[in-house]
Amino acid sequence: MTTGTVLIIGAGFAGLGTAIRLRQAGIDDFVVLERASDVGGTWRDNTYPGAACDVPSPLYSLSYAPNPGWSRAYSGGAEILDYIRSVVAEFDLRPHIRFGANVTGLSFEEGSGTWTARTEDGRRFTARAVVLASGPLANASLPDIPGIESYTGHKIHSARWDHDYDMTGKRIAVIGTGASAVQIIPRLVEQARTVRVFQRTPGWVMPRLDHGYPGWLTKLFRRRPAVQHAYRAALFWAHEVMALGLVWNSPFTTALQAVARAHLRLTVRDSWLRRQLTPDFRIGCKRVLMTSDYYPALQRENCKLITWPIATLAPNGIRTADGIEHEVDCIVFATGFEVHKTSTPYPITGRGGRVLAEEWSTGARAYKSVSVAGYPNLFLTFGPNSGPGHNSVLVYNESQVDYIVRAITLLRDRNLRTMDVRADIQDAFNAELHRKLARTTWNSGCRSWYLTEEGFNAAMYPGFAVQYARELAAFDADDYHLSG
Amino acid sequence: MAFDFEDMLRTVKDKQWALVDIDWDAPGADLITEEQRPKLKQFMTDLVWIENIGARGFAALARKAPNETVKEIYTYFHAEEQKHANAELALMRRWGMLEGDQVPEPNVNVRLAIQMLDRYADGAPLSGLATLIPMLECALDGALVKFLLDEVADPLCHEVFKHINSDESRHIAVDFQVLDLVGAGPLRRLLIESASILKPQILLGLLLYVPLLNKMRDNIVAMGLSERKLHNAVKRFVTNGQRSANTRRIPAYQLFKRQAAMVVDRTHPYHRYLADPLVRLTSRIPARLTGKTPSWARELTHEPVAE
Repeated sequence: MTTGTVLIIGAGFAGLGTAIRLRQAGIDDFVVLERASDVGGTWRDNTYPGAACDVPSPLYSLSYAPNPGWSRAYSGGAEILDYIRSVVAEFDLRPHIRFGANVTGLSFEEGSGTWTARTEDGRRFTARAVVLASGPLANASLPDIPGIESYTGHKIHSARWDHDYDMTGKRIAVIGTGASAVQIIPRLVEQARTVRVFQRTPGWVMPRLDHGYPGWLTKLFRRRPAVQHAYRAALFWAHEVMALGLVWNSPFTTALQAVARAHLRLTVRDSWLRRQLTPDFRIGCKRVLMTSDYYPALQRENCKLITWPIATLAPNGIRTADGIEHEVDCIVFATGFEVHKTSTPYPITGRGGRVLAEEWSTGARAYKSVSVAGYPNLFLTFGPNSGPGHNSVLVYNESQVDYIVRAITLLRDRNLRTMDVRADIQDAFNAELHRKLARTTWNSGCRSWYLTEEGFNAAMYPGFAVQYARELAAFDADDYHLSG
Repeated sequence: MAFDFEDMLRTVKDKQWALVDIDWDAPGADLITEEQRPKLKQFMTDLVWIENIGARGFAALARKAPNETVKEIYTYFHAEEQKHANAELALMRRWGMLEGDQVPEPNVNVRLAIQMLDRYADGAPLSGLATLIPMLECALDGALVKFLLDEVADPLCHEVFKHINSDESRHIAVDFQVLDLVGAGPLRRLLIESASILKPQILLGLLLYVPLLNKMRDNIVAMGLSERKLHNAVKRFVTNGQRSANTRRIPAYQLFKRQAAMVVDRTHPYHRYLADPLVRLTSRIPARLTGKTPSWARELTHEPVAE
């Protein structure tokens, strides 16, 4: 058994960011539990061809660890992973990380005021506080399609890419047309014999203004970090403005839709294909797709968009409801992730044996997305209602981490046994939050992975990034029950 | 008890069948006589295109569906109509009526209907489309298909149409439930929605629909379909609709009900003064003027497997 002050679960952006900030606050006895053998989280797992970030790289990096060497505006997955590794080296985090530690359960012990994490290999780690940095996109999800087990060809999930499988000359099906799919498809059409894209609902597509950074700019960023800082700030505010159209349904939403429609009209010639690609919900309701090469890829000779519902998977391929069987050598599932809106990645047992997944069965709720009543000294990163629809997730994450570090510092400084958010404070917070959510585009009537089947939004934050940051800037001990 | 659309959606998903489920080389293809062949080819061609037009109608309806479940059901129905067209093409292929990958050409009225649907179906009022589709399906199911099965001895044709009829019975059940739902809305909304029929493009669409229906009616009757059968099929549309007080409130239902009654009655002045002249007029429209066929009408295939 290993004991320390803090256990951090997950060595992705959030876990590593927490580790850095804890150390900067003078807390050194923490352990990072990582199920894989390397750092990087989502960026380590998602190595599919074309994987890249939707947010410009200077904004999709830690504010206190700028990277002047980004090669382009929207960097690819490999470059982001390199950045994460460089951060680990710069802040000397490796000694704190326990690789191969796949957490299978977490439980709180009232007497000692400690949490114990059990791992798959039988190890136990105990600490005063736990930071759940497992990430919302940690677990790949296969769709519920009849006959999925009967298919005998090759299967690949976008988040667990099989690099040993050669796509050259193969007949490939891609199921899903979300953020991963629109990045994969343009690469696949260059390699495969045929690519069939199975779409359920089309998303709004905005052109992505990707470009390489010229050498002189990289040099300038290196020599004058303030310039890069200012550039990041400009990108941040440009994204903040987008909230006006993407978070709330407004004339700005209509303007953004007009841009997306114009993009569609200019790049897709066939009117029926355009109709098939035109969403019937307001932009922002689902994640906006940022790509300039998806539409051209769909119109390549060897590519076909199929919008018929999938009836069943058969041994040789996919049968659609128009009665046709599409024979394929490989199916790529770009069907997203298991986002924990009503559950947790592993059982989490709090005070008096309460189980978090049971309390969240109708939708996850927390206080400021970080604390949950009944689970003292437990902190979440990317917790309920912390997702942005318009800005870099790392901006939100830095606010969470700073809040958590403030809380843990107080725990240590006052030598507290437990710090448990008050249930009444949490309830009032959620009532207000969901009142605000009701007026957002996400809750305007479409189905998306942000919502539960019942339409409960446990994913998104209804406001600007600056509002979120302000909300988390102060840690008020009065919001918590503290015990010594 | 309220109709359970969720349950219907589950049934639709469970009842999916594919062209590969059918042995297209099974014995019986030679039961088609040489005398039947040319007429049957024309009949099947019309049928394929009616299914294709119906498919596009459901695609338009899916956009206007009153709720998410109905929308998903319509999405399946859109595909199922296409499946029926594909299966009918496969039958034609089995009977040696198609060469290679050839898809038979639609007649001028069908081409006009395709153009109209392509341009205006998405903008047509829900109550109008939701009324028109069950009327066509009643006629299809109750008259055309029954007639076909009486005429054709090939057992495989009967097997295929068992699947198609099973699908169509669900389509008709949903169609009338949706009409009931639409008719239950406030009268003011119904009237405003129905008033959108006065848009010039919709009026033009309706005007083109008259010869389309009439030409098909005449073709089919010429092949031997009794007027009685057509009459009964339309009566089924009327009686199904009359059962619901809500449906009776829908202006489009009242309109199509009357028009359907006129179509089946060859002695009605409607034929002499409107339908027949329009059939003659449209038949003179050269093919090049009907415009380029939209890509949705070029997706038909008789191949059960796409490579």
